[in-house]
Amino acid sequence: MKKILTVAILAALGTAPSYTLADTRINGFASVAAGSVVDGDESLFGYDKGVSFKEESLFALQVSSDLGEGLSATAQILSRGSNDFATEFEWAYLSYEINDSTQINAGKLRIPFYRYSDFLDVGYAYTWARPPQTVYSLVFSTFDGLSIVNNHTIGDWDSTVQAIYGSYEGEVDLLSEEDPATLDNMFGVNWTLTYDWFTARAVYMQANTSISFENNPDPDQTLNNGIALVGGIYPEAADSLTVEDDLGSFFGLGFSVDYNNILIDAEFTTVEVENSIVAKQEQYYVSVGYRFDTFTVYAITEHSEDTNEDTYSSNLPVTLDIPNYGTVYPQGTYQALLASQEEEIDAFTVGVRYNFHPAAALKFDYTAFDTLVPSTSSESVESSVFSVGVDLVF
Amino acid sequence: MKLFKTKLCVAVLGLASVVAQAEIAVVVHPSNAAAVDGTSLSRIFLGKAKNFSGGGQAVAINQAESSPITEEFNSKVLKKSGSQLKAYWSKLVFTGKGTPPKALSSDAEVISFVSSNPNSIGYVDAASVTGAVKVVGKY
Repeated sequence: MKKILTVAILAALGTAPSYTLADTRINGFASVAAGSVVDGDESLFGYDKGVSFKEESLFALQVSSDLGEGLSATAQILSRGSNDFATEFEWAYLSYEINDSTQINAGKLRIPFYRYSDFLDVGYAYTWARPPQTVYSLVFSTFDGLSIVNNHTIGDWDSTVQAIYGSYEGEVDLLSEEDPATLDNMFGVNWTLTYDWFTARAVYMQANTSISFENNPDPDQTLNNGIALVGGIYPEAADSLTVEDDLGSFFGLGFSVDYNNILIDAEFTTVEVENSIVAKQEQYYVSVGYRFDTFTVYAITEHSEDTNEDTYSSNLPVTLDIPNYGTVYPQGTYQALLASQEEEIDAFTVGVRYNFHPAAALKFDYTAFDTLVPSTSSESVESSVFSVGVDLVF
Repeated sequence: MKLFKTKLCVAVLGLASVVAQAEIAVVVHPSNAAAVDGTSLSRIFLGKAKNFSGGGQAVAINQAESSPITEEFNSKVLKKSGSQLKAYWSKLVFTGKGTPPKALSSDAEVISFVSSNPNSIGYVDAASVTGAVKVVGKY
């Protein structure tokens, strides 16, 4: 309304410059990164031995149209190298400003799990080469639904509260990297408080979660067969392993400091899906950095632990004789299936960001992962990646 | 780099004292009675505040990103480097949470815009100020 008034006034004055009428904005960002596994045999962040330019490279364009009276439409189109640069709508939504402090967005939006979720793909917006991956581990990042954001001040603090409601239908990485999943009735709240150099954030989300095991890459299909075997005799046991309309929840706490060029970031998160084989995942990272004019150096330490509490196997017999088949071990099978999901990761990163251009940053990063899967080995597997990338915005 | 070159030229010319950075004048429409201190100024230009302290809507007007007056405003008032500011706005722009102020390309354009838009606020080199606008602060 005010904008229309301004345009009207300017038009009346005969001085309307084009920018007040040009209500469509085009912005974009891009990253080009090359990386390689320099130590170890396991692939990490999509990189293997040999240099790849594709895994973390991306290009995006955002078109935003202001329709006046607080209404706007935005679409962000993204091409990821890891997806052969196929073009996808990453965000597509309508926004309506209810008043100066509250805005509703409806459409395809980012799930605000983490502090940096909203601009995960915009490398220029953060110091690191990539957000710490043990914490930023949930690969599905967008949902369809509503978001309402309210900004207000509490004394000298800026406070932002966001609530979301919606659903997700797509893929998650539980067994493979593409397990079909649906999250229904997803809702969540997050609250961010900022005081000059200090920011704190808390988030809670939940959803009715279903994940199919049909893409299990295991050639022996141990899990699928195990569930079928246990479930054939004890349907309830199978129920407590499958992920079908089970309550999934996410909780996170984080804080950041940007004081006298000292940068500190930390986040702690937990992910859980009740009554399912999905392990309880707890993870955190702490990052410290220092800004020297155009250079910023950083180091990150990360830890994650996926553990599966067993509250059910005591209901199952240790052995069971099946006529014409033989003896099976329901309790042991059940315990092994739970244990197969346990994992522990320690990671360490050092890196540097160099703002070599007003709109572009060059980043060098070395990250080492140490992964322990107790069900397969008592030894952890080490792998490290070195990457160089350029992030820019336009 | 640009700054370095400028400094170098100036030093070569032996005019180092003249370059002393320009004083910035923050200007509003003459009818605007709001008091604007450094904190509220910074909040308005960072999109955190959308109103003047008196309650009227505030429309911030930037100058071109590469202009020396903008660089000075960013460092003196917003206390951020150009890169930090760009990162700050990227976070808002690509998440639909805000857009940076419109930018005009000269002191004269800012003065002309502010003098005809009662809710606007801009910054210019103090030496460029005319009677068409009101100065609410110098930095």
